[in-house]
Amino acid sequence: MPRGRHATRETGVPSITRRQWLAALGVGTTTALAGCSANDDGEETGTTDGGDTTDGTPSVSGTYDTVTASSFSTLNPLYNTSSGAGTAIGRALDQGYTFDLDGEYFPLLYDMSTDDDGSVWVFEIREGLSFGDPYGAVTAESFVYQIQELHQTDWAATAQSSSWDGVTVEQTGELEFQAELEQAQLLWPESYDPLLFPIPRALVEPYVDEEDAEGLQQDEDLLNLTFTGNLGGFVLDEWERGAGTTYSRNDDYYIQDIDEGPDLFANAPYFEGATIDVVEERASRLAALETGEADSAGIPPERFSEFQEKPNVSTYRIPQPFNRILSVNMRDNGWNAGPGNLFRYIPFRQGLAAAIGKEELIAGIFRGLAQPHFTWQPSWSEWYPGDDAITQFGVGDQYGGEVARGLVEEALAESEFDYRFDGGTLVTPEGETVTLDLYHLAGGETSQLIAEYIAGEFGDKFGIDVTVEAIDGVRFQRDYWTGEPQGGTDTVNGEEVTWNQPTPNNPGPRSVTSAESWDMSIVYGLNTYPQNPLTNQVFFDGANSFYNPVGYYPEFDAAGIFQRAREASSEEGLQGPFTELFENLAAEQPYVMLAFGDDLVGYNPDLVGPAEDFFNGWDFPAWYFDE
Amino acid sequence: MGLARYVALRVGWAAVVSFIIVTITFGLLAAAPNPSVQQAATQAALEGGNPQEAVERQRQLRGLDEPLHVRYMDFLRGVYTLEWGWSDYRSQPVTEALADAIFYTAQYSIPWTILTVLLGPLIGVYSAANMYTWRDHAATGFAFFGYAIPNFFFGIILLLIFGVWLEWIPIVYRTEVPTFSLANARQLAVPVFVLVTGSIGAIMRVSRNESAAFRNATFMKTAKAKGVSPLRAYAYHVMRPTLVPLSTTLVGQLLAIFLGSSLLVEVVFGIPGLGRLTFNALVAQDTNLVLGATLLFTFLAVVGNLLEDLAFTVLDPRISYDDRDL
Repeated sequence: MPRGRHATRETGVPSITRRQWLAALGVGTTTALAGCSANDDGEETGTTDGGDTTDGTPSVSGTYDTVTASSFSTLNPLYNTSSGAGTAIGRALDQGYTFDLDGEYFPLLYDMSTDDDGSVWVFEIREGLSFGDPYGAVTAESFVYQIQELHQTDWAATAQSSSWDGVTVEQTGELEFQAELEQAQLLWPESYDPLLFPIPRALVEPYVDEEDAEGLQQDEDLLNLTFTGNLGGFVLDEWERGAGTTYSRNDDYYIQDIDEGPDLFANAPYFEGATIDVVEERASRLAALETGEADSAGIPPERFSEFQEKPNVSTYRIPQPFNRILSVNMRDNGWNAGPGNLFRYIPFRQGLAAAIGKEELIAGIFRGLAQPHFTWQPSWSEWYPGDDAITQFGVGDQYGGEVARGLVEEALAESEFDYRFDGGTLVTPEGETVTLDLYHLAGGETSQLIAEYIAGEFGDKFGIDVTVEAIDGVRFQRDYWTGEPQGGTDTVNGEEVTWNQPTPNNPGPRSVTSAESWDMSIVYGLNTYPQNPLTNQVFFDGANSFYNPVGYYPEFDAAGIFQRAREASSEEGLQGPFTELFENLAAEQPYVMLAFGDDLVGYNPDLVGPAEDFFNGWDFPAWYFDE
Repeated sequence: MGLARYVALRVGWAAVVSFIIVTITFGLLAAAPNPSVQQAATQAALEGGNPQEAVERQRQLRGLDEPLHVRYMDFLRGVYTLEWGWSDYRSQPVTEALADAIFYTAQYSIPWTILTVLLGPLIGVYSAANMYTWRDHAATGFAFFGYAIPNFFFGIILLLIFGVWLEWIPIVYRTEVPTFSLANARQLAVPVFVLVTGSIGAIMRVSRNESAAFRNATFMKTAKAKGVSPLRAYAYHVMRPTLVPLSTTLVGQLLAIFLGSSLLVEVVFGIPGLGRLTFNALVAQDTNLVLGATLLFTFLAVVGNLLEDLAFTVLDPRISYDDRDL
């Protein structure tokens, strides 16, 4: 049940970079707190000892169990890159900070502050944090040592190494250190880059001395989280590979003594134990939710209304930042209908966007459980430019055959090839009906329905013949979405652009292509990074951006906008560049934007704590079972 | 040739076969591109480093720069000393991962195998004894229903009926439940039932047809004439010759089902057994674990085949050995 800031979605395929993996880890913590979960033993879970204790706090009762679709490859905090395992680690070990329901920074292990424009950040470690025996107190030294000797070296290759690249770290006190960035970042915490797990120096020091990366990855204490002391709500009792994890309550959880946060933290957590069970089959996970064996589980849209009717399940719609998009291939192996790739013309992409009825799509396929998607931010983001600032293709007067064909006509006028409408049908210069393929994820009912709806809309509005094809996600990633990095040069908007560091997801200019040709796909959704839109530079800072499988060349000064955002000295100063960015992206439709589907979660109705909010679960230690 | 010598030769041949398979596995492995080397090259390219240098370093680290014969000897030593390496997918030694998975697989596959071996021939012989009656049709229908319905689908249906509606069985499989306990029997009852019904069809049919040939055999007529009860006649005079041809197919059939059906059942019921382990290792491209699982299944197949041959020689009274008193 993925939730949070993954880089790609739908198939669970790897994200873009380690940086984004770290973002996922950040979510791991949030999710860990949120606990998308399922309980197991109905006799234990949900049965409380009854009511409150004398001090007004709920009594500690029951076990809180989670079901997950896939097992964990590692629980080593230094090497984990999956959000699922991040949840499992987060049960027993907190990370540095989180964000509350208002999206405000909330310190867990350390507070972060900057006195200037975000180039120097001071970390203040909370007092009273302690590793398990024999490692002693958590100090600034343990964090600084971890950063300098593990994340900033070549041999260790930790999951967080790219986050600390170019950052100068210095210990300034027993419980304080500072980090100086090469380029100021006002939203550095929101990038999740400075998010750290506490790791004892003495535990990793032998591996550092030997530069033994293999030993570090395979260390039993790291894998079994035996060093966590008072740093997590629960103690990991057992990790049964392939089956899941079991935990018992940590009576010494440091959060009980902190001044910030809800009063309920005073005796947190309120569950006697927790488990995470690996249940690969979705029907089985839903059955567990229905019978009360599960305290929570994700629900597919087609069954959400059914679960809304069930008295033994509470349903929640939780907004999230991953989008549903129609990717159109602007590289040389795209637009296989004829000569000249029409996807490269902005009015053509706008025409496609105007042809797809977003309200119909959401009502019909998402059962109303989604939000329309117009620019690269969800409407709940503080960086969303506002409805009036952008053209909302696909709704109101920007939806329909007339407006869509008008936009496509504009594109045809720009094209050097003689594409034209023959009656209501778009035809090639040879007079043949334009035929395109559209890939969707095999096995995903929603994915198939969206593909068929798009095919129908394009057929109705343009007379285009769309062939809908199902494809395995791994194969699409390998043969269609990535290419062998070659680099090269191309002329973009009159300027010569060089691909110096091509990547599999942007192997070079449009002439460098994936192994297989393709026209359109809805296989992947991407993160819109609403907390720190600067991260979107991996998609949009130019033709040679890090992640650009579709070969999009921005026709506005994207790199300049990102540069101005990086140089902003206040959050107010960020608003201007971001507004400009999202207005341009709404206009250019680098990916034809469709919808943000909500995360649909069912919880045990006796559970107190979940919220229909993106930051749901930030206060997981305060969650409890009520009768 | 005496029975002891035959058995010794057969065991020796099994060892040779396993050695050949291990060698072929090494050859395939040596010829295939190593994912970790490719990954190192990609990572170096992404970070602006030299991919070629990264490849060389990775090859050196993994001993891939050694001569082929040295690597082969190391591989053989590793295989036969059970040093099968580290599983990245599970973060534990491969042998430990396999042992864990076998533990859970055995919990349902032992009762499943026993029940299949017992029930399949029994239903087959029962069917033959009542040939063309409603009992025959009912028994055949029962056996073939389980054979025809996909285990995956059948499992979900039974989970819905007995787990969700009747709440007789738990939905989530619990590893912490003691192996020999009622709770474990409860959570394994439906997976075992699904597998048994899925596997007795073929065995039942072979048993029915084989035993039908003996129904009217002379020795049966003699037995009946001597007043032997039908139950005893079938148990002693029909069942044994029926088991001879059956024994030659049983291991192969069960292994095939073991690899295919058990994976699906493990997925539906959340059992962390060998099927899921192997499948997930393949998807995750965990070379060591895939290799370990392959070797394990190879050894199982070789040993199974050996047992099959030995059982055949013991069961079939027409095969004579110098030192055989049977």
